[in-house]
Amino acid sequence: MDTATEKAPASHRDKAEALVSLRGIVKIYERGGEQLKILDGLDLEIAKGSYEALMGPSGSGKSTLLNLIAGLDRPTAGSIDIGGKRIDQLNESQLARWRADTIGFIFQSYNLMPVLTAVENVELPLLLTKVPSSERRQRAQTALRVVGLEDRMDHFPRQLSGGQEQRVAIARAIVNDPALIVADEPTGDLDRKSADDILGILEQLNRELGKTIVMVTHDPAAAERAKVIRRLDKGQLK
Amino acid sequence: MIPLKYNVRSLTVRKATTFATGFGIALVVFVLSASLMLAAGIKKTFASGAREDVAVVMRKGSDNEMSSSLENANVSLVSAAPGAKKDTVSGEIVMVLAMEKVGAPGVTNVQLRGVTDAAQRIRPEVKVVEGRLPQPGRDEVMVGQRIHRRFANVELGKSFELRKNRPVTVVGVFTSEGSSTESEIWCDLDVLRGSFAREGSVSSIRVKLDSAAAFDGFKAAMEGDKQYGFMALRETEYVKKQSEDTAAFIGIIGTLISVFFAIGAMIGAMITMYAAVANRQREIGTLRALGFSRRSILLSFLVESTTLALFGGLLGAAASMAMKFVRFSMMNFASWSEVVFSFEPTPSVILTSLTFAAAMGLFGGFFPALRAARVSPIQAMRG
Amino acid sequence: MTLVGLAARNVLRNKFRAALTVAGVAVAIITFLLLRTVLWAWTAAADYAAKDRVVTRHKVTFIMTLPLSYAQSVRSLPQVKASTFCNWFGGKDPKHDKEFFGSLACDTETGFTVYDDMVVPPDVLDQWKHDAQGAIVGDVIAKKMNWKVGDRVTLQTGIYPKEGDWEFRISGIYQAKSKAVDRSTFIFHWKYLNDNLPANRKDQIGWIVSRVHDPSQAAGVGVAIDKVFDEKEIQTLSQDERAFNASFLASISAVLTAINIISVVILVIMALVLGNTIAMGVRERTNEYGVLKALGFSNKHVVMFIVVEAIVIGVAGGLLGLAIGYPFIEGGLGRFLEENMGSFFPYFKIDPRMSVLAMFLAVALAAAASVIPAISAARLKTVDALKRIA
Repeated sequence: MDTATEKAPASHRDKAEALVSLRGIVKIYERGGEQLKILDGLDLEIAKGSYEALMGPSGSGKSTLLNLIAGLDRPTAGSIDIGGKRIDQLNESQLARWRADTIGFIFQSYNLMPVLTAVENVELPLLLTKVPSSERRQRAQTALRVVGLEDRMDHFPRQLSGGQEQRVAIARAIVNDPALIVADEPTGDLDRKSADDILGILEQLNRELGKTIVMVTHDPAAAERAKVIRRLDKGQLK
Repeated sequence: MIPLKYNVRSLTVRKATTFATGFGIALVVFVLSASLMLAAGIKKTFASGAREDVAVVMRKGSDNEMSSSLENANVSLVSAAPGAKKDTVSGEIVMVLAMEKVGAPGVTNVQLRGVTDAAQRIRPEVKVVEGRLPQPGRDEVMVGQRIHRRFANVELGKSFELRKNRPVTVVGVFTSEGSSTESEIWCDLDVLRGSFAREGSVSSIRVKLDSAAAFDGFKAAMEGDKQYGFMALRETEYVKKQSEDTAAFIGIIGTLISVFFAIGAMIGAMITMYAAVANRQREIGTLRALGFSRRSILLSFLVESTTLALFGGLLGAAASMAMKFVRFSMMNFASWSEVVFSFEPTPSVILTSLTFAAAMGLFGGFFPALRAARVSPIQAMRG
Repeated sequence: MTLVGLAARNVLRNKFRAALTVAGVAVAIITFLLLRTVLWAWTAAADYAAKDRVVTRHKVTFIMTLPLSYAQSVRSLPQVKASTFCNWFGGKDPKHDKEFFGSLACDTETGFTVYDDMVVPPDVLDQWKHDAQGAIVGDVIAKKMNWKVGDRVTLQTGIYPKEGDWEFRISGIYQAKSKAVDRSTFIFHWKYLNDNLPANRKDQIGWIVSRVHDPSQAAGVGVAIDKVFDEKEIQTLSQDERAFNASFLASISAVLTAINIISVVILVIMALVLGNTIAMGVRERTNEYGVLKALGFSNKHVVMFIVVEAIVIGVAGGLLGLAIGYPFIEGGLGRFLEENMGSFFPYFKIDPRMSVLAMFLAVALAAAASVIPAISAARLKTVDALKRIA
């Protein structure tokens, strides 16, 4: 477990321990016959156990980068290696399988299933695993305990506050013990107090459970809580 | 008043949904329109060619000419009755022939009518369009245009047997302005009598009266003498009785089916309109905020659903016009013989179909429109 | 919680829309069952027709009669086990001249032996045989006309003129043993008819019905019978009862075809309504499918979610349709038709196979209708789906 608390530049980190490794990433979108180069030859390594914040103005490509790391999208060129696996070469269904095993997602607008209770939402990713149903429920309850929502297990999302919903989403992100947690503006829809709670939980996950976290954020206060801050501009890391 | 353009554009934005709903309504209207066209066709087939000033005399208690039997001598009795025109009295024998239908299994009954030259004097609309009239006393027949070629050997120049070793030749094809007579085979009365040992009898006697008003006096005279057991009907009345069961049968089936179909399509329209309202909460809120009244919102959504239904209705009604080229042949229950009907597109059929479509739109759209009218202007501010 | 359970729960997302759609499916299923039952009621009469009975009638036209001697000739054929003959009487009750029912004059000794699917208790039969003016009537018509055993009944007919009225006495009621039997027929002694006809019309019979030893040879027996009369003055046409009924069906085949087509059209409408509902739900929830895909659910899962949702609606609609359809079709409409149009619909019940088919179609069409929205949802890129907020 990485216990370093100071903000260290990425280049100082040990490459052997890299969980995420991107090389020469190019991402081009076509929109109305026009080609938009979002990422242009980007290299990035994220060490195991790190907690990194990606910042940058709108259109800088930070969401695109996050999508690539999370295996939601594939690069136009370049290689993405995560935990020793070249995910840029996986097809759509292999990627889905891989995400289920490897990635925990936290979204800006929580994205809980409204028809499911808190504990059922957390249980959802386990449906993709071979975990037996009795154990699924147990694990989901444990995850909810980690985020401090054991008394809200049977509530539906509409019965929860925004901060509580995001905590359920975090529980859902960690329930299958993913190697990497990606968070897209996790505090974007929250007030300061709830945002601080959420950032606290993420910090705790990183520090106590050793989870590797990549977070895209606009909020300098949120970025401050990460171990590493990376700034992206015009498709390049600064 | 919110302009219609707004509704029409809203419909075109949701192309797939609009099309699915419109197509559903089109199918319903097609079925309705086709059955109305058939009912109109049945009515036309029987009603055209029936006259107020022609009486049909049969044996009392008979359902139809086929089951009636009168002495040939009665013909002169009828022509002597008050109100009867002496030179236009036609004693006829009606039979059914079991014939093989082209392209169908088993046998079907076709009506055969033995006539004298008086038959055509009563029915001036009967015209030979191909070939010629059968000659009296010869084994010749003419066939109605609607059954021409629909049965084995019912074809100009071919012949079939009325009884063993007594073939008759088809020498003519006739029309009668679309009436049920066009589904009959006509031959000389004496030829028919000879073939079926019906010498000295007729099924019915048709007589032209001095006027339509003369019927009551004629009827009283004919039915007054109980010993003969006559029954006199106006031709129009008789024909109506002949078509009643078949028309009612098609009418009941058509109505029943249309009602069920309409419920289904109305539900479809309702679902579509509810979704339209749900998706446009913000738009409706904005319209309300701009100052449009609840009434004009209600009206606007009713207009939208009615437009949608009319679009479907037009599609269905237009498609049903193609049924004009289809001939619908079925047994007429009263005579147990085959009659060929056409689908008649009348203005009232089209009007009824479109009204029906509009009604589906109105009823299907009413509750969703009510919901739209209840949207608060505050919705404009929400996401 | 299971994947299927989650999919099923989505149905209740928009309860009102789901209820409307279920109602729509139910209406379609009821209509389908009704139309199919109409078809079945007709074809069943042909299917249930006795296979071992052959009907012989005038070759050219059924309204012409055969000489009585023909009945004896048929009876003497070795292939024929028993045979009877009847005349169509065309009788009507003058007091209820709108009521239609079949009236037959049948040979006293052999009538109910050959028509053994009309069941008459032996003592009643015996009593009837000893009453020259006796009549046996079907239970449905007896109830409708309020005829009791012992009642005097007068019928009118245009076919057989008689000095004075045709008078009968109700001897008893027959029960139908087969689904093809009209329960509204009036049967009396052929001898009573014949004795009251003028000399030139005596000893004529409408048709001969024969029972054959070997039902599989019925068609062949028909040919053999016709051969007997081939050189006679009047030729005959013999068909087994099933073929006889089938030719009746052929005469209204246009109606059958139309009903057949329409029963399919209602299913198309159902599929449109269903598909539309599913497509709307999918459109509104695109974002959720994006989330599921981000969590690692594959395209197959997404398709499965949507199809299962549709199937749940199909099952619910199908069950509701059957639940309403059975009492409506068999209880209400069926009873009415059996009592009032018994000659067309002697037996108006839902074919159990058809309700299974209706249920299957509700489910299959629901699944089929959801395929297009399901595939379009699955095809959507995860990143784009996530951006969609309904």
